Amino acid sequence: MSSQPGDLRRCADVAPLLIFYSCDEVTVEERRQIEAHLAGCAECRAQLNEEEEFGNALVNVPQAADQLDGSGKLLAQYRSELSEALDDLSAPPVQEHWQPFGGLRRWMALRPAWSAALLLVLGAVLGRQVWQWLPTSGSGSGGTAVNVLAAPKITEDQLSKMSVAGINFSGPSSDPDTATVQVQMQAEQPLVISGNLDDADVRRVLTYVVANGQRFDPSVRLDCLDALKSHTSDADVRRALLAAARKDQNPGVRMKALEALREATSDPSVREVLLEALNHDANPGVRIEAVNLLVHSLEQVSLAGPDADSAGTAADATPQDLRAVIAAGSSTERVIHALEELRRHDPNPYVRLRSAAALRQIGPQDLQ
Amino acid sequence: MALADDAGRTSAAQAALAAVTSLPDLDERTLVVQAQGGNRAAFEELVRRFDRDVLRLALNLMKRPEDARDVYQEAFLKVYRNLHRFRFECSFYTWLYRIVTNVCLDHLRRRQARPEDQAPDLGAAHREDGARDFFEHQKEHRPALDPERRYIGKEIQARIALAMERLSPRERIVFEMKHYQGLKLRAIGDALGTTEETVKNSLFRATRKLRNELGGLR
Repeated sequence: MSSQPGDLRRCADVAPLLIFYSCDEVTVEERRQIEAHLAGCAECRAQLNEEEEFGNALVNVPQAADQLDGSGKLLAQYRSELSEALDDLSAPPVQEHWQPFGGLRRWMALRPAWSAALLLVLGAVLGRQVWQWLPTSGSGSGGTAVNVLAAPKITEDQLSKMSVAGINFSGPSSDPDTATVQVQMQAEQPLVISGNLDDADVRRVLTYVVANGQRFDPSVRLDCLDALKSHTSDADVRRALLAAARKDQNPGVRMKALEALREATSDPSVREVLLEALNHDANPGVRIEAVNLLVHSLEQVSLAGPDADSAGTAADATPQDLRAVIAAGSSTERVIHALEELRRHDPNPYVRLRSAAALRQIGPQDLQ
Repeated sequence: MALADDAGRTSAAQAALAAVTSLPDLDERTLVVQAQGGNRAAFEELVRRFDRDVLRLALNLMKRPEDARDVYQEAFLKVYRNLHRFRFECSFYTWLYRIVTNVCLDHLRRRQARPEDQAPDLGAAHREDGARDFFEHQKEHRPALDPERRYIGKEIQARIALAMERLSPRERIVFEMKHYQGLKLRAIGDALGTTEETVKNSLFRATRKLRNELGGLR
């Protein structure tokens, strides 16, 4: 359709330009040549006539704009809406001075699916990292966790009024020694204490429950004993365990309390409680547990004896060591005596059998 | 530097002139300078001068008021945001139409990508309108408003609308701007950011396609 004056003598050259001729879009030179051709070509004149009629038909039909907005209402409405939009644009920006992660936020706003995936991944990574720093993960590869001992926050008054709804152990291992203990208390207001046994408040509450067994459910007392058995070196804990072993009304709790004291049997007060259980506890299971623990304690003494001898002479021993040896010796005699009594007179045949077996077990000690 | 000084003096003079003259009396260039300086009223006066043609183009092309509104608002907001970039290298009208046609092209292309979102058949809509049919069949003495001629006109309009849907977005805009907006091909080329020759090709293709679709339409 490029105009090349001088080429417009044939119909094939003129015909394509008739569309533009009819709407006055040809150059002066093209117009002159087209008109010269039309004067002698009836076929092209007919085609031009068709083009003009077609153009007129198109132009004369009602247009969408006339039908849709003949009254100008739309125009007025759109002007008003545009004005409102301009108001919004002209309003001063809100706090645009500092927008942290502005680019990232815009990126995320435009890509919700990608953003959700990114946040999930970020959460998983952060979760893993934070987990390693939690105190309960001390048994992991991160080394021993260090706990800061806080001053007790639970008052005596709260303790005296509380009831315990439940005790949960949670953490990477189910071992109560390392797990986080969560105590759900119902005092004047529900309270949840969470931490491991190094937490003074946690230890205090558990000890209180064991020492005041009559106020709490046996299952709660058993859970507390489970948690406390690794902390018998604490004087308060040991006192509570001894009291439970001696006085708790539930034989299961008494047995558990004795079991919790297993690593403290060298303590004379613990042996006293064991002997007391041996002689007076009404439950044969508790008596058998006491036998077991006494045998265990004597075995510990026999193991410690040669070491003590090899470590030095009596001249090297402190007065406390000597008193312990003497006490252990006298205690051993009492144990053997008590076991003899049980073997002969205990009403329960299992206790009699276990006592006989224990005597055979510690016989050499007796000879010592 | 001298040119910049001249431009600065011109702007200052135009601002001073605007201060004492009501906006409708100002020429296009002064209004643009005012609007570039943040005068919202000057911008709205520019809108009022050109938005009738813009809406007409949008309604004819989009055939739906809600789509036309989107085009109208999007186009003028683009003009408002980019007015500071206008350097008077062409007329404001051409620059405005460049933006408007781009927005229209975007909307038409989006619509073309969604076959379920085609323009409504305006003729059919009117045929279904019983109240209008009653009045349209009353005797009309003015030839242009003769019901029979109007009916035939609507039939033809519906056929043209259907045929227009088959054109490419660019061909539709060129045809619309040439035949219904009455623009010269050079101005259309300026608005579309292309050459007059390209526009000629588009118009030729559009006319041929319409002739084929509409057959013996006279």
